[in-house]
Amino acid sequence: MKALVIARREIESYFLSPIAYVVSVVWLVWCGLQFYLLAGVFASAPSLSASANPLSAFFGGSVLFFIPLLVFAPVLTMRLLAEERHTGTLETLLTAPVTSADVVLGKYFAALVFWVCLWLPTGMYVWITSQFGRIDGGAVLSSYLGVFGIGLYYMAIGLAMSALAKNQIISALLTFMLLSGLFAVGLLSFVDTFAEQRDVIDYISLWGHMQAFSKGIVDTRFLVYDVSLAGLFVYLAWRALDGRRQS
Amino acid sequence: MIEVRHLTKRYGDRVAVRDLSFDVARGEVVGFLGPNGAGKSTTLRMLTGFLEPSEGEIKVAGFDARRQPLELKRSIGYMPEAVPLYLDMRVVEYLRFRAALKGVPRREIDKNVDRALELASVADVKTRIIGQLSKGYRQRVGLADALVADPPLLILDEPTAGLDPNQIRQVRDLVRTLAKEKTVLLSTHILPEVEAICARVVIIDRGQLKFTGRPDELRGGSVIALEARADAEKLRAALAGLEGVGAVSIEAGEVQKARIEVTGEVDACAERVFRAVANAGIDLRELRRADTSLEDVFTRLTTQEAQS
Repeated sequence: MKALVIARREIESYFLSPIAYVVSVVWLVWCGLQFYLLAGVFASAPSLSASANPLSAFFGGSVLFFIPLLVFAPVLTMRLLAEERHTGTLETLLTAPVTSADVVLGKYFAALVFWVCLWLPTGMYVWITSQFGRIDGGAVLSSYLGVFGIGLYYMAIGLAMSALAKNQIISALLTFMLLSGLFAVGLLSFVDTFAEQRDVIDYISLWGHMQAFSKGIVDTRFLVYDVSLAGLFVYLAWRALDGRRQS
Repeated sequence: MIEVRHLTKRYGDRVAVRDLSFDVARGEVVGFLGPNGAGKSTTLRMLTGFLEPSEGEIKVAGFDARRQPLELKRSIGYMPEAVPLYLDMRVVEYLRFRAALKGVPRREIDKNVDRALELASVADVKTRIIGQLSKGYRQRVGLADALVADPPLLILDEPTAGLDPNQIRQVRDLVRTLAKEKTVLLSTHILPEVEAICARVVIIDRGQLKFTGRPDELRGGSVIALEARADAEKLRAALAGLEGVGAVSIEAGEVQKARIEVTGEVDACAERVFRAVANAGIDLRELRRADTSLEDVFTRLTTQEAQS
């Protein structure tokens, strides 16, 4: 599998770069703060604990919690293809006996691994919560499934922008704009004027998505949304990379 | 090994390569020449499957570029012009990655990498990070990459660009060694380089084929330049009728500078010229073989075409 060879190199190179560590540390500090505050709230108001716990609030309680990801996702994905093009290594890569599909899938797989690595340390909150109360294992699993679903299309959008953009900065900016756009649509759910469209908005929004998954509800409509959006953008990345041969 | 038929590449309105056809036979070492911007790199990029031709056919090792791109790429070891490398990797890691990418079986990767390191003489820096290597070493890491899967055809785009004379000699020696078992197509704009390594040249200009043949045919006969203190008539008389001496042009001045076109074998002719000039009592200041530069060749090829 040539895609796996490419993915492996990408992952190794990612963990050799300072970006990986900067992003992980900032993200962990942010998550830690979030979890600390939530745990505080639940500790001071025991009545809340009947329907939720710090963990479900962590995964679904606050949509603002995802705002840093609008920046981190572009940072994780901006290098993928834009850097190869910028430094010219795309030429050595594509003149090896591989197809553009191998390259795109390899890069996408690597990006998903970055995404998973970003979330792995949050597993400690599961452990901490389990030390002080009962946790719903199914809800934890579905929360992570939800997070993975978001990663599927966040990383795909980043990959496509990296394939289209001339350099990393433009790639990051485009990704940021697209993700923010989707995020902003989700915020409309809180605006009364759009009450009639709320079903559609909730379908698109991270908020509705994570609300469901954090409660342990695996709503396949959301998964269909994640997978189709991811498929669309991975396809776009592939077309962009392959179309480059014409120019 | 390479068959190119009516190859054309257009970028919008601009035509980079126009109706180009040429062949490279198995085992040949062919120089691919042309002024800057002639379309050399574009052609090589189409041969290696990086760019898609607008029109025309490419076959490498019998594989059609459109229908069998993977097989085609597998039979080529390609070193692009600027030798792009992953600067954050170590040399040996990079070559292992490239070997795996090129489909070298897992068990043979170490063996192939060692051989490529040895051939390209980069074994001494194999654990160094590529970004810290000098240009000469990077160039040879690029060569090692081209060699790592042991392909039958090497395509090298300006393999000696930016190297010092010593490194240039090493690369030429390496190409000569490789030529014993591989077909090589290398682009360059240095004429002596072509004469040193290549049995045949293909010259293009503005995307079109200008010449294909042996490199010595390019010079269009040799030229001897001499400088002497004598009057022009006396010099001309001394040179007249000598065997192998063709047209003589004399640039008059305080000293006479003559350019002699040689029709026969140049060394013997130079000796005869020396003796004749000395016997005529003319003091010789300089006698040398004049170099034909690639620019001269291009000019001649393009003017020839204008005349014909």
